[in-house]
Amino acid sequence: MGKTVLIVDDSESIREVVNFTLENEGYDVLVGIDGEDALQFLDGRHIDIIITDLHMPNLDGLGLIRKVREIETYKHIPILFLTTESQASKKMEAKQAGATGWIIKPFVPAKLLSAISRVLR
Amino acid sequence: MIDKFRAKFVEESLDNVQDLEESLLLLENDRADKEIIERIFRAMHSLKGGGAMFGFTDLSEFTHHLETVFDWVRNGKLAISDDLISLTFEAIDQIKHYLSVGDLEDEDEKKQANALTNKVKRFVSNPSEHDEVELTENVQSVEEEEDGSKSYFIKFVPHTDILRNGTNPLFLLDDLHDLGTAHVIYNDTKAPLYDAFDPVSCYVSWIIILNTEEAINEIQDVFIFVEDECDLEITEVFEGNILEQKDFQDLLESCKESGETISSEILKNVQPATAKEEPKEANKKKGVQLKETKISSIRVASNKIDELVNLVSELVTIQAQLNLYAEKDGQPGIIALSENIQKLTRQLRDNAFEISLIPLQNDLMRFQRLVRDLSKELNKEIDFIIEGGDIELDKNIIEHLTDPLLHMIRNCIDHGIEMPDERITKGKSPKGTIIFRAYYEGASVIIKVIDDGKGIDPNFILKKAISKGLVTEDVELTRKEIFDLVFMSGFSTRENVSDLSGRGVGMDVVKRKIGAIRGEVSIDSEVDKGTTITLELPLTLSIIDGLLVEVAKKQYVIPISSIEKLYPLPEADRNKIFNEVISLGEEQFPVIDLQKVFKTPSTNEKQHIVQVKYENKKIGLIVDDVIGEYQTVVKPLGKLLKSQEIISGASIMGDGSISMVIDTNRLIHNNWIQKLNK
Repeated sequence: MGKTVLIVDDSESIREVVNFTLENEGYDVLVGIDGEDALQFLDGRHIDIIITDLHMPNLDGLGLIRKVREIETYKHIPILFLTTESQASKKMEAKQAGATGWIIKPFVPAKLLSAISRVLR
Repeated sequence: MIDKFRAKFVEESLDNVQDLEESLLLLENDRADKEIIERIFRAMHSLKGGGAMFGFTDLSEFTHHLETVFDWVRNGKLAISDDLISLTFEAIDQIKHYLSVGDLEDEDEKKQANALTNKVKRFVSNPSEHDEVELTENVQSVEEEEDGSKSYFIKFVPHTDILRNGTNPLFLLDDLHDLGTAHVIYNDTKAPLYDAFDPVSCYVSWIIILNTEEAINEIQDVFIFVEDECDLEITEVFEGNILEQKDFQDLLESCKESGETISSEILKNVQPATAKEEPKEANKKKGVQLKETKISSIRVASNKIDELVNLVSELVTIQAQLNLYAEKDGQPGIIALSENIQKLTRQLRDNAFEISLIPLQNDLMRFQRLVRDLSKELNKEIDFIIEGGDIELDKNIIEHLTDPLLHMIRNCIDHGIEMPDERITKGKSPKGTIIFRAYYEGASVIIKVIDDGKGIDPNFILKKAISKGLVTEDVELTRKEIFDLVFMSGFSTRENVSDLSGRGVGMDVVKRKIGAIRGEVSIDSEVDKGTTITLELPLTLSIIDGLLVEVAKKQYVIPISSIEKLYPLPEADRNKIFNEVISLGEEQFPVIDLQKVFKTPSTNEKQHIVQVKYENKKIGLIVDDVIGEYQTVVKPLGKLLKSQEIISGASIMGDGSISMVIDTNRLIHNNWIQKLNK
């Protein structure tokens, strides 16, 4: 059975590229257009990993992680950041909020897939 | 595949750019609005990220600097100045350019882009001094920044089981390469013999000597998520680039020969040539994220909509045929069925046309921008007020509307609104106002551009028209007719065409362009009070209200919007046509015999005259018969008939026959030219 990935990004083109890359590898993909939109998927269904952007309207990536970590079902789910941001302070903040990893845009598909398989085992 | 994503990115980015412009205009009025600054920052961030992702390297790099500036702004380190806003507008134009051409290849363009990048950089390099720096425009000096780099020794020894959870250590090396230049030495001495070799274990370790301008925590960051799965040493060993030092290269050689491993201690012995300090700013505050309206629409390629509208038109036609058949057949079952389908078809048609409408809003941004830029350039103060930006029009109409509207607004700014001191002496507020007002009226959309500038004197227009020989001196015209003279070709009230408007384009071009989308233009003005230009536009181009007429047994459609009056033409009146002019009662007007135009054998069945408007004249078209009003879907003629001018399209009738839609303006124009040539 394919693993389920939730992608959250406010840029449609990025969503499509990530979606394309992952579906090609046999993942099931859910797509949220911002943090708040992504929360609707966290209704008890099974999700293996969340990949999220940092800067988004409504609810940004950090906000999303903090919310996710409050939900019992998803407390331990791996969450990766996929972002252009590479500031150390941001990364630390993300780690403290409970992020599992960090991928910098622009990414090559292999790198993205490697990062995902790394945390999914 | 990537092309598809690229196209998507460009489309999306254009939205972002528009959002940027909009936000920037808002910001100009309210410079403290955090939410807007955040929006600007986010749009730039998306452009930068996506640009790098989809191969717009120049764009990404350029936006990066811009983003940095606005990061300072949102963190309160930089205040918003007029300079900054103007520069950002300039930058937006540059971004648009990048989006249309991709990475720059032309050397001149590159130079320009560089100069602009440097201007942007100056805002964050030395904010207190950037005004003075402006004087020394030297690309080179800014480009070559001081070498504030340092060299680090990094020893990275992954645990043997690091591969088991999917980490690829090579990607970490890639990340290091992104930070600067690196020399990598690998060590595989720990690898066991083949028998004991476990393919999923990692036996390799690396030593990386990295030269970078980034701070040490950037390097630590690369390893942030593998910290627990490796032994790591990161030490600063050299100020500047150690990789270029001869000492270092000698050292490498000797280590290679002796088999000695390089350590941070050895490297620290390398003699630095120079040492420089570079102050590093770090720790940027987390920005405020604010609410934004949720997406309530989806994006559909415009050709899909065209396709839908097309299919619906076909359906409407087939439906009409079905109706005809059902009536003839007379079976009650089929009549009821046909009526039901007709009802649905109508709803479907209305729906499909509604979908193809887009709001004026998108264009308005350009107008706002124009007003802003031009008024600055001319030192005029102008308020631009938009009413009814949410009015929707057929996208084909909007496409044709932009240029005429730009021209009209440019006219208002350039010729209409006076200089502030001139306004004050007239007792007006120094700030001029241009109102852009759009609203529905029946099946039309009305757009008014109203300014409170100096206005136009009708007597002046009349004099001008007489001097240009457009009208004779003894002519008596109503106020409206006088203003209509402005739209005649060869009329321009301005002796010296200014730099800004004009450019050889007059109101007659506006009139023609609006006419091409079956719209009407009129103008009204009062001296020192201002000028109002009114456009009346159809909601859609593909449906037309027409008058169905017959010429030599063939049916034609004449758009109702151009028709003035219908006259019967009994036999007794036919001899009143003399030299292609008819006198009917009080009126006298030229007529055109459509039988002649269409070169059909002349018959004696000419029973009606359809009087249509042409510029400010009235001209009669002689037809055989008038059948009645008819709302119809217009389809373009195929490629083969493209050179054909007097027919603007074709319409399929209920019985499946085809009737041509006549472009009366063209028809009259061509007829005239022909006559002149004779």
